[in-house]
Amino acid sequence: MSLVPHPPEPPKKPIKAPAPHEELFRQEPGGERDKASFVRAVQNFGQYNVRKRGHVDFIYLALRKMREYGVERDLTVYNLLLDIFPKEVFRPRSVIQRIFLHYPRQQECGIAVLEQMENHGVMPNKETEFLLIQIFGRKSYPMLKYLRMRLWLTRFKNINPFPVPRDLPQDPVDLAKLGLRHIEPDLSARITVYQMPLSDDLTGTEDPIQPHIVGIQSPDQQAALAHHNPARPVFVEGPFSLWLRSKCVYYHILRADLLPPEERKVEKIPEEWNLYYPMQLDLDYGRSGWDDYEFDIDEVEEGPIFAMCMAGAHDQATLAKWIQGLQETNPALAQIPVIFRLAGSTGELLTSSGLEEPPRPLCEVQEEDDDHRKQQQQGRS
Amino acid sequence: DSQKIDREGKIPDDILEKLKSLGLFGMQVPEEYGIILVGTEEQKAKYLPRLASGEHMAAFCLTEPASGSDAASIQTRATLSEDKKHYILNGSKVWITNGGLANIFTVFAKTEVVDSDGSVKDKMTAFIVERDFGGVTNGKPEDKLGIRGSNTCEVHFENTKVPVENVLGEVGGGFKVAMNILNSGRFSMGSAVAGMLKKLIELTADYACTRKQFNKRLSEFGLIQEKFALMAQKAYVMESMAYLTAGMLDQPELPDCSVEAAMVKVFSSESAWQCVSEALQILGGSGYMKDYPYERMLRDARILLIFEGTNEILRMFIALTGLQHAGRILTERIHELKRGNVTTIMETVGRRIRDSLGRTVDLGLTGNLGVVHPSLGESANKLEENVYYFGRTVENLLLRFGKTIVEEQLVLKRVANVLINLYGMVAVLSRASRSIRIGLRNHDHEILLANMFCTEAYVQNLFSLSQLDKDAPENLDEQIKKVSREILEQRTYICAHPLERTS
Repeated sequence: MSLVPHPPEPPKKPIKAPAPHEELFRQEPGGERDKASFVRAVQNFGQYNVRKRGHVDFIYLALRKMREYGVERDLTVYNLLLDIFPKEVFRPRSVIQRIFLHYPRQQECGIAVLEQMENHGVMPNKETEFLLIQIFGRKSYPMLKYLRMRLWLTRFKNINPFPVPRDLPQDPVDLAKLGLRHIEPDLSARITVYQMPLSDDLTGTEDPIQPHIVGIQSPDQQAALAHHNPARPVFVEGPFSLWLRSKCVYYHILRADLLPPEERKVEKIPEEWNLYYPMQLDLDYGRSGWDDYEFDIDEVEEGPIFAMCMAGAHDQATLAKWIQGLQETNPALAQIPVIFRLAGSTGELLTSSGLEEPPRPLCEVQEEDDDHRKQQQQGRS
Repeated sequence: DSQKIDREGKIPDDILEKLKSLGLFGMQVPEEYGIILVGTEEQKAKYLPRLASGEHMAAFCLTEPASGSDAASIQTRATLSEDKKHYILNGSKVWITNGGLANIFTVFAKTEVVDSDGSVKDKMTAFIVERDFGGVTNGKPEDKLGIRGSNTCEVHFENTKVPVENVLGEVGGGFKVAMNILNSGRFSMGSAVAGMLKKLIELTADYACTRKQFNKRLSEFGLIQEKFALMAQKAYVMESMAYLTAGMLDQPELPDCSVEAAMVKVFSSESAWQCVSEALQILGGSGYMKDYPYERMLRDARILLIFEGTNEILRMFIALTGLQHAGRILTERIHELKRGNVTTIMETVGRRIRDSLGRTVDLGLTGNLGVVHPSLGESANKLEENVYYFGRTVENLLLRFGKTIVEEQLVLKRVANVLINLYGMVAVLSRASRSIRIGLRNHDHEILLANMFCTEAYVQNLFSLSQLDKDAPENLDEQIKKVSREILEQRTYICAHPLERTS
């Protein structure tokens, strides 16, 4: 819950009363919303009234408007906002003032500014400290929050064991590569771009004819696929969503079901494998109960996953192209039947109007046997 | 191209030119340390700009054929000429780095010095000698086992005229100059070796994660994992030690960190040799081939244990400096004990009884006001215990041996080993605490490495300290000395052949 109080709900009248000082943030015709205009708006407030009446409301409004102007990660802008407070007025001057929270609304406002800094990961500096001391004094709550930010923000900087870079790449192929690396961080896995996005000039860049297809597979998975029994089918499942900061990408996986226990082959260690020491001791008993750490209640055995991909479109045609691309490195895939299990809905659950759209799963189950049909399709498309 | 340099035995000129243009010649090479440390203003102004720009190279000439570690027995002489304006230098130096390429030499020679009481003695003096002074010749570059790119050769001085202004420091003060130079150049080895080990870990990890034997990757075998853990641990410890020493040296009073530098050098050189050997072992046969850099790194790492003061000599230095410092403090107490001061006797007796009953030592590292992070608390406790028992043991040793401890090298070796381990523990604990407090990435990995090293070092220290007790059964010194005496008498292995019969 942010400390910034939301503006009161508009009454049922058709005309909404504007927030105080909102006209300062009104966009001029032809001007874009950027740091310079934000700074100008803030400075205009100072020129409006020398006594700075209503500065608390103005600061709350400015905090809300920061995101539109794109300055929420800028430390100088926050220092500018803190500068709006009149300086020596709010410092407690006697013991009694110190006991009771002196000027509570203003202190809450200061804390709100610092909290928005913290939410966006902006580290305050000496100037912020100086301003806070000037405005609120050393023993105030904003100063306490500042000290805590100085301590904990440094410690939390590297706390994420799987960090996602702040500036995500705009190019969808690069984004797909980043996402796949996050799913499979093993360095021996290879990422291959099966198809680059190509758009026709006529249709424009929103609807490329060829969506990008980026796949990932590690040598272990390749070996497992080569050993897979051609009588059992493999499934292409998806799309599953992966969130990278504020972007959602979708990926598909190629997997097979677990072999039932009777069909599972136990690898027999050949008798004459190791020249130097016996790989298998000829004893009757196995691991004793005290030393057996194999069982883990959280571990559920799943079927093998052979490859993953991220594609621009989620329909069967693009995924078929992915399978064809995979066949170059995994020739065994040609003999294995591939079943496409695609869920229909690809939109995010919450649309911009704020209403939830229930997902409509369409289980398209189509069987494609042999590469004969695939080649026919290739010839056709 | 390191392979080509290794084969041909010299660094090609274009690389030297590039290094000059990068300004790397201005870095603190030990040869220049002499001038920076002890030179007067005119000497610094005359020589340092040329050295820093790379126009001229400097070489440090101390070793002679008959005196390697024993530097005070050098035979090179410098006699004052009749007009008292020049020194005539005569002698030869061996194993001089950059001897063939250098233009400026820091030469140590014996000069006659008249003492304050009139007696004439031979003392060592340092001179800055330029090749243009005449009479300076050098032999051919030596063919070495490792660091073959560096030019090492003999340098001969025949009646070289050295002006009196070129004396470094004062006449007769060469010993101190040499000691200072050697002490300051030592600890940079720690960071250099740590960098090399990191690169080694990268290369080897690539290989271990891709090569498969018995259907398993090499990285899944326990013995290989142990080697990697060892390399990571040693690299971490030596880096922490080097940076701790560097931080201490940066303090404004320029403290004398020669002991710490020596400890860094000993630890880094030994770990380098061990870790490069293990890395070569991970690669198996390919590590042995010249196509891979491992055998070259092994050969280069071997010299680390020898130059800049052999490890044995440095162990003696570490132990003796420490003992001298401790001895001074102890002399007071021994005098009091001898005089029969009752309170001191009661204190000592009480402390011995409490020690024998087993006590926990708290020197203030852990707990509420502790400086060490709680996750390293156990290791800090181990360190405190070790420090306390080490103090007790040193006291006992000084009481038993006194001044004659200088001859007991095996005892001093154990003392030095304990000291190096303690310094390593301190460095590692402080670095790990700091990285948790600041929040550097992968700080939990650092905690693991720190705790591992502290546990190992604790156990080793306990063993060494138990060996130092009087008549300890773990102490094999007597047996070692006896065996070596019998062997060296006959200069051969003396046991009878197993197949010999008496009948």
